[in-house]
Amino acid sequence: MTHISAGDTAFILVSAALVLLMTPGLALFYGGMVRGKNVLGTIMQSFIMIALVSIEWVYIGYSMSFGPDMGGLIGSLAWLGLNGVGTAPSPVYAPTIPHIVFMIYQCMFAVITPALITGAMAERMRFGPFLVFSLAWTILVYNPVCHWIWGGGWLGARGVLDFAGGLVVHLTSGAAALAAAMVLGPRKGFGRENFMPHNLPMTLLGTGLLWFGWFGFNGGSALAANAVAGTAFVSTHLGGMAAMAMWVLIEWLHRGKPTTLGAASGAIAGLATITPAAGFVGPNAAIIIGFIAGAACYYGITLKMKFGYDDSLDVVGIHGLGGVIGTICLGIFASKAVNPSGANGFLAGNPGFLGTQIFAVLVVGIYAFVVSMVILKVVNALMGGIRVPEETEIQGIDLGEHSETAYNR
Amino acid sequence: MNTGDTAFMLIATALVMLMTPGLALFYGGLVRSKNVLATIMQSFICLGVISIIWVVYGYSMSFGPDVAGFVGNLDWAFLHGVGLKPGPYASTIPDLLFCAFQLMFAIITPALITGAFAERMKFSAFLLFTVLWATFVYFPICHWVWGGGWLGKLGALDFAGGTVIHINSGVAALAAAIVIGKRKGWGHEAFHPHNLTMTILGAGLLWFGWFGFNAGSALSAGETAVLAFFTTQVATGAAALSWIVAEWILQKKPTTLGAASGALAGLVAITPAAGFVTPMSAIIIGLVAGVLCYMAVLMKSRLGYDDALDVVGVHGVGGIWGALATGLFATVAVNPAGANGLFYGNPGQFLIQAVGVGAAIAYSLVLSVIILKIVDAVIGLRVSREDEQQGLDITQHSEIGYSL
Repeated sequence: MTHISAGDTAFILVSAALVLLMTPGLALFYGGMVRGKNVLGTIMQSFIMIALVSIEWVYIGYSMSFGPDMGGLIGSLAWLGLNGVGTAPSPVYAPTIPHIVFMIYQCMFAVITPALITGAMAERMRFGPFLVFSLAWTILVYNPVCHWIWGGGWLGARGVLDFAGGLVVHLTSGAAALAAAMVLGPRKGFGRENFMPHNLPMTLLGTGLLWFGWFGFNGGSALAANAVAGTAFVSTHLGGMAAMAMWVLIEWLHRGKPTTLGAASGAIAGLATITPAAGFVGPNAAIIIGFIAGAACYYGITLKMKFGYDDSLDVVGIHGLGGVIGTICLGIFASKAVNPSGANGFLAGNPGFLGTQIFAVLVVGIYAFVVSMVILKVVNALMGGIRVPEETEIQGIDLGEHSETAYNR
Repeated sequence: MNTGDTAFMLIATALVMLMTPGLALFYGGLVRSKNVLATIMQSFICLGVISIIWVVYGYSMSFGPDVAGFVGNLDWAFLHGVGLKPGPYASTIPDLLFCAFQLMFAIITPALITGAFAERMKFSAFLLFTVLWATFVYFPICHWVWGGGWLGKLGALDFAGGTVIHINSGVAALAAAIVIGKRKGWGHEAFHPHNLTMTILGAGLLWFGWFGFNAGSALSAGETAVLAFFTTQVATGAAALSWIVAEWILQKKPTTLGAASGALAGLVAITPAAGFVTPMSAIIIGLVAGVLCYMAVLMKSRLGYDDALDVVGVHGVGGIWGALATGLFATVAVNPAGANGLFYGNPGQFLIQAVGVGAAIAYSLVLSVIILKIVDAVIGLRVSREDEQQGLDITQHSEIGYSL
């Protein structure tokens, strides 16, 4: 039996709006970190996802992700164009809110995930090939992985848990970012010039909006205004803040000064890392996960210099690594005492669940990386290159790709 | 448990969290560009520092089992026993959610103080001050009023934090401005805000978040929440208007900064009264707040303390006016759980409010001065003259805000 709860519906409607706000928030977060000549191009890459992915989602994406299961791999196209997705609740996904509300809530996740990848392509990707890549990526990576874990697919059936998208959102986008940085190659001057963020207050505004929106992302993933939503909300805040504190502290000891960019990066690392675990762990475990995230991702963003890939705005080091750590930490810290519909992890005497989570990290990481690589190579070959010409890169993509400049005095 | 109440309080908590980044931008736009990141950072990092100590001992000191009406004991340290069933403070939402809602208030309060010592405080000294101030000033006063302490028992009304947050931070700001001293060049140079559009954006986010702050303080999605929501809106509009009218008359031009400051003054003043007064009273409270706080801000140059971003004038004076106004305008006709004020035939309530104001001012002032002196002795409050000249962004954080 299903019946619509006014409280639950109010909560998920507002949560969907909060998650939508994260994409403009991300646009500002990234926009502030690039050079002034690329700020509009960077913001545009996030912004346009609201249109591109929403269209894809309504026509095929929702059905592929959450429609009737086919062999555990993908949803069928039975819900094409939202056929049959109405105001009656879905007994499977969320029995107390209209089905269409669940659909639009999930749409906002699909929108932000390819937007996250853009940080790795910043300052050098052509806009046309970027759109084609994002559409293909949503169809071939996001929709299937989302189905595997949340839509009744094979990973969910094996007992893999991902509360709000450590695997589905952060690991898929992080792995794609690594592929994108490798295929695109480093920006002109990478490793020799210092690419200064052109507007750090803008980045901090973006951080604030992301943090705010993340309460809808994680809290709303309970799909009801209940105790689990409370747990997820509190874990989210504590994970984010602990990682911010840890990142700033390490930076202070290691480089001599605590930076605002470090605070922003640490907060996002913590929020990304706590995402898969949010509704399954208690407050004290959330703080520990946050501390681990702050330290690990601080180290993670130094890897690009060692390996020479230009992950311009640290999508791999923050979202990819954060998704991995969060998913594995969930395998360690999960507790049925906190959420009876979750699982017990390693510390609660269930090492098997930790193994399941590690398996999921490998499968999703490898799948997302390989398919992203293939898509990028194909788009690169078919569209005459995914990278802007050198003159455009020097001039900036705002003018080169959009015929605009952001700041005029 | 009620899903409507839980939904509302989840969202209200998120809204109050957003006020701290909003405040960061409000303050960030007002300083010179060489200090914008340091100013933003002082608010932002409170999200980290205060959250940690809140979980470890702050929530327990504020709301835990009462010790002599003064402070909570440490039974709830590390959130021991704070679970997902409704707790003693809110019967229809998870106890942990109440704890999170209150945490957001504890975060923004020390962030408010930072406006007073903007552009000249060492980051390390700021962190130490913030931890000590939250521990010895915020947690006890929060307990006095809301956590079962002596002021609450006396009958003092503070709907959403006029005394706990605004008087408290305003008075600490006065102490800080005096102890740390004036900025280099104060009184000779004009310190122009470097980015007023950033300040207006911050004011907008604060106004938006304040609906969570005040309406959420009803702790349920019912009649009192609606009243608080509405009074918040009209008082704020009234104060923004009265500030710019006063400014127009006295200084010839209505400014955007005046509109933003006036809105903030109205939000502050209505905070303690929001759930206890009628909408018409709220408009009066707002109109008075706009003029009063404007005058208070003008006074600082005469009195000679450098409250850089007007924390004393807006939060201190606005908070005092709001707390006293609650004693004038409160009526049980709109909220039976409140009280009648002086204008509704109960002068005793006004006296109780005055006692609350006096106690908060005295306690916060004395403790804040002591804490500031201790921090000054241990690590020094103020950056060197050269660092101040160069700006805090580069000297404290090795960053610059803009390379446009």
